[in-house]
Amino acid sequence: MTHYTDMQLDALRELANIGSGNAGTALSAMLGQPVDISVPAAKALPLANAVEAAGDPETLATGVVLPIFGDIDATVVLLFPPDDEAILCTLLGVEPGTDDGYSALGEIGNILGCSYVNSLAEMTGLAIEPRPPETVADMVGAILASVLAVRADSTNLALVMDSRLIVEGQECELTFLLLPSLQGIDELLGRLGLA
Amino acid sequence: MAPVVSGTELMVRMGELATSAVAGEVLVTIGLGSCVGVALVDARRPIVGLAHVMLPEAVGADGPIAKFADRGVPELARQVKALGAARLEAVIVGGAQMFSFGGSDGANIGARNEAAVREQLDRLGIPIRAAATGGRKGRTVRVHVHGTRVTVREVAGVEQELYGRGIQ
Repeated sequence: MTHYTDMQLDALRELANIGSGNAGTALSAMLGQPVDISVPAAKALPLANAVEAAGDPETLATGVVLPIFGDIDATVVLLFPPDDEAILCTLLGVEPGTDDGYSALGEIGNILGCSYVNSLAEMTGLAIEPRPPETVADMVGAILASVLAVRADSTNLALVMDSRLIVEGQECELTFLLLPSLQGIDELLGRLGLA
Repeated sequence: MAPVVSGTELMVRMGELATSAVAGEVLVTIGLGSCVGVALVDARRPIVGLAHVMLPEAVGADGPIAKFADRGVPELARQVKALGAARLEAVIVGGAQMFSFGGSDGANIGARNEAAVREQLDRLGIPIRAAATGGRKGRTVRVHVHGTRVTVREVAGVEQELYGRGIQ
């Protein structure tokens, strides 16, 4: 079903790697703690499988969603599991589960999403920018399915670029997903000379 | 409240549909956001079906059968009838608006999905007996063959019965 070559997926994975590296640096600067980045994955999946890419769809998480506009359409989604969210809020000095807590997570999402998107833009020469994020606490499956549905009219495939940021010395990690439109993927690959 | 019957759960993922007349089986869709879960049950006999609709209208002929309301709902009705169902009733769940970004195509897919599902059910002459739709929260729906029950749960909430023989 996938129509991407291994070489194309490798290139997309490398983009995700550099993007999440920059996001990790931004998070580290905010927290004053070292941040590790897991090896990212780039997978072309049928829509139903893409919903499960970030784990059990019934798990509760706080999602920060940033729509990306410009030369390509895409969505960045950051997922914070509840325990990790609480640790992160504590590190930032705000009360988890409060309006301040959600606002802080939204701001983290905004900064990480922007640094990710900016590095994509630099590497590819694409003019892209994120819109302000929305923060929702819900089932992971409901969050991802609703994001995917927006662009699912003419495609049955989603490209999921997935990486994890881990705050060292803390039981704290978050999942970072980039979900581009299919035209967006072609555009990305074109800029890399791999279309 | 009766204890949860520990039946075999069959997952109905995005764009999929399933039917059952096997006592003990439960059709489940986890995490409906803007998607709509369409449950069809026979009014007299324990025959059920569930479709996980993602978008209102098909633009092409390909894709999972229940991805679009206009193809998925009639197909679900056909398959439930093929199991012997005669008098169908519907329960619909989902169609929430998780995000408020406007944008051309992002504008409330949940509400459009619900409208498209209602239109299809109306066209097929299938009455809607219960609904848990709209709002901003994700939902999980379970369709139990035993007792022909439909239950719904929001995140961190309790399982609530929307439909069942006991409340008929």
